[in-house]
Amino acid sequence: MVFQIAMQIISYKLKKRELFSGGNRVVKYIFKRLIYLVFVFVIISVVLFFVYKAVPGDPAAVMLEGSRLTMEPEQYDQQYKQLREKLGLDDPLPVQFAIWFGNVIQGDLGYSTQYRMDVKDVITQPLLNTIKLNIPAVFLVMIITIPLGIATAVKKNTLFDSTVQVTSIIGYSMPTFIVALVCIFIFAIKIPLFPISGVNSPGFEGEGMARALDTLYHMALPLIVIILGSIGGVTRYVRAAMIEALHCDYIRTARAKGLSEKVVIFSHAFRNALIPVVTILTGWVISVFAGSIVLESIFLWNGIGKMLIDGLVQRDFSIVLAMQLFYVVLSLLGNLIMDIGYAFVDPRVKLGG
Amino acid sequence: MNKKSNNSSANRLGRLFKKKEKLSLLEEEQLQSPFKSIVKKFVSNKVSFFGMITFSVIFVSVFVYPAFNPIDLSYQDTTQQNIAPGLSMLSVASELDGNVAQISAGGSFGVGLSKDGEVYQWGELSDKLQDIPEDMGNVVQVSAGMNHALALNDEGEIFTWGYDRQGLKRIPPNVTSSGAIVKIVAAQQMSFALNENGELFYWGNENLMSLKVGEHNGEIVDFVANSTTAIAILKDGSVVSLEAKSSAYSRIPEELNGKTAISVASTDGAAAAVTDDGMIYVWGNNKYDIYDIPEEAQGKAVKVDAGRAHFTALLDDGSVVSWGRDNVGQTDAPKGNSFVDISVGYYQNYATDENGDVHTWGLKGYLMGTDGFGRDVFLRLMYGGRMTMTIGAISVIIATIIGILIGGIAGYHGGKIDNLLMRFAEIIGSLPFLPFAMILTVVIGNSIPETWRIALIMVVLGLLSWAPLARIVRAQMLAEREKEFVTAAKAIGVKEIGIIFRHILPNVMTVVIVNITLSFASCMLIESTLSFIGFGVAEPTPTWGNMLTGSQSSKIIGEFWWRWVFPAAALSLSTVSINLIGDGLRDAIDPRSNER
Repeated sequence: MVFQIAMQIISYKLKKRELFSGGNRVVKYIFKRLIYLVFVFVIISVVLFFVYKAVPGDPAAVMLEGSRLTMEPEQYDQQYKQLREKLGLDDPLPVQFAIWFGNVIQGDLGYSTQYRMDVKDVITQPLLNTIKLNIPAVFLVMIITIPLGIATAVKKNTLFDSTVQVTSIIGYSMPTFIVALVCIFIFAIKIPLFPISGVNSPGFEGEGMARALDTLYHMALPLIVIILGSIGGVTRYVRAAMIEALHCDYIRTARAKGLSEKVVIFSHAFRNALIPVVTILTGWVISVFAGSIVLESIFLWNGIGKMLIDGLVQRDFSIVLAMQLFYVVLSLLGNLIMDIGYAFVDPRVKLGG
Repeated sequence: MNKKSNNSSANRLGRLFKKKEKLSLLEEEQLQSPFKSIVKKFVSNKVSFFGMITFSVIFVSVFVYPAFNPIDLSYQDTTQQNIAPGLSMLSVASELDGNVAQISAGGSFGVGLSKDGEVYQWGELSDKLQDIPEDMGNVVQVSAGMNHALALNDEGEIFTWGYDRQGLKRIPPNVTSSGAIVKIVAAQQMSFALNENGELFYWGNENLMSLKVGEHNGEIVDFVANSTTAIAILKDGSVVSLEAKSSAYSRIPEELNGKTAISVASTDGAAAAVTDDGMIYVWGNNKYDIYDIPEEAQGKAVKVDAGRAHFTALLDDGSVVSWGRDNVGQTDAPKGNSFVDISVGYYQNYATDENGDVHTWGLKGYLMGTDGFGRDVFLRLMYGGRMTMTIGAISVIIATIIGILIGGIAGYHGGKIDNLLMRFAEIIGSLPFLPFAMILTVVIGNSIPETWRIALIMVVLGLLSWAPLARIVRAQMLAEREKEFVTAAKAIGVKEIGIIFRHILPNVMTVVIVNITLSFASCMLIESTLSFIGFGVAEPTPTWGNMLTGSQSSKIIGEFWWRWVFPAAALSLSTVSINLIGDGLRDAIDPRSNER
């Protein structure tokens, strides 16, 4: 249904050639936003970097801790000095920041003391795991909530609507971890349908399709939790936006013209409701990723959230910093996508430049 | 004017239940103040009003209950771990009325023996405990331990049921073959038996206590055992600790030398003995005023028995006294002087009177069970609720102050200041909340005491959640500042700050209040989430979030359901009802919502 709607909008736009007529302005607008976001990114990086520098502790001493007892004091001193130099710990802070930031831009995120590997090698698999879990969740939630939101808005004040309203308040008020506990209780303990933890069964050997199916099987429970936890909030926003849109004068006009209710709802009201919905959805997608920190720690899903927690517990700040930058980039990208989304759904953005 | 609707809140509440009075047209059309109409609308919304009541009940109880019930945060008790909810620990089986031969109190249950040799149990019984061996014959003695029980029949056979690991099931063969058994005691994962020759046998988890009976074997006439040791009375009436290494129990007071002890008892940290002249002597760790023996008992005592941290003594005039720790009423001994026997264990007390009726006092059970450290879930739930709500409330206050300030200034000034402040709000608002809060609490909160850490969490939550409010206040401010009353205020020379906060702000307050309500819920949620994953308030200070931390394993989720169901329900119920209130308020305040 969502797909149909999207197709309808796109084909409608193509027909009118609207999509391309304002092209230049859209590009200019996006470019402006991009510069702003890069600026924000730099500021946040500065803040983050200095926060971490404020943490007491000497990374060089931590790295040498293991071999400290086996070395002569002079040898240790020498190695320690070398390491400090190599890590650039004696440079003034702004210089350290410049070097670190330059490295980050080039994709070098530093060295993990916990795994004794480069951070970028450590985080690849968890990153994939997190994406594997969250992207399907995002799509499934959209497929469920957008039609549900539209339906409740159209049939507002009916029994169906009020039931959905009250249930959705319960849905979005419940913390994810409680939803997770309840789901584990029901779907893994009382009715043992799904495994509770891990990305794959322990010692799983299969490759290709079999492996993917096994992952899917382990993914089921976290997916259910994310969906249950998100349905309420998103449905309410879609409903509110739709109701707002259905109250506008152009809807009356459209109805007066004798358009069918389907066209009025999907092509007139929904298109306008999309503007607030896009805003909300972006924020929500970011929060799904942030919220997966909790779920990953409950379901022992080896993703970046679990990596962040482990990093914080182990005080492996290169990893934490990398994770943090990931979340910042994610949220800034989200904002950018939101801006682009505006440019597509809101004609005023194009006119305003 | 309708006089009744004037202003008293009692009338307003009363209207809920009374049939609406018939009003004349003029009365119907009368003007209502906005506040009145908001209250009226809110009250008429059944769902939100229900939320309001639920939340008020929770709120009042989490602040009132802890005020009257002190908590010992460092308290743990291994004998009370994972006890299911229930209040039946003192519900002595009705078959024993007037027919009691013996009662023994266990960790979370009681075992009773009737005069005709039948065994009865009550309290929180595990599946293994419920499985009493059949055909025990005519039982003459029973003893209840932490989670297992022993029985002795008239043929000298010993039966054991309940917890059966650690070798408790394997009764050594020489126990019954070496002489008639006179006393059996079940302790914490240990079982003891004493025979007529004064020989003491024990089996079970011997790692828990290091006993050395040695030279005393053959001289013991009576003994007691607690979770770490055993204390015995020898034939010559002296008291000895059977511990291999010296401890608090082995420092037996010198006053006891040369006297004849007739009864001993031991709590978790102290021991007491009654001598034949009726005096009570206590030694060991002086905790919970365990040394404060009631005056009236001295010289009159005939028997003493002990729970985990209290003593109860039977006096020669048939009355009983209790002293020591009093957290669940275990020292509230009943008045009366017709008691003939007492039996005490853990937190329970039983006294039998001459009619054979049993009087009980002490721990009835745990309303919501206990957690993995033996702590009362209900008490922690109340304290945790207080903590969670306090953190939520203070964070919201911080966020509200910042949000109103920044939103107010940005909205009133507009232009460059507005642009700058709103960009700032945008940056803060676009930061991913949870990871940031986690990192801030770890980075800053690692080296400071717990109280400061809690304060830090409040500040961090406040600092990260003001952005949406600032945006709303700014939007309202932009609309309001163009109105005439602002121009008027300017014209008579009111200062800018005065205009913003005294003149404009009251007009946007309603919107702010709705926002505060909703962000109170979200602050509570985030605090619980942080504490749940271990980055918020740390143990042993309870919050609803960290009470759930230990509940991630499937064993706890499935078997010890009370450990997560109650905190989860309390948290969900609170946040749901706050959101219902916020929703109802928004509907009541926003006139457009009527159309929806």
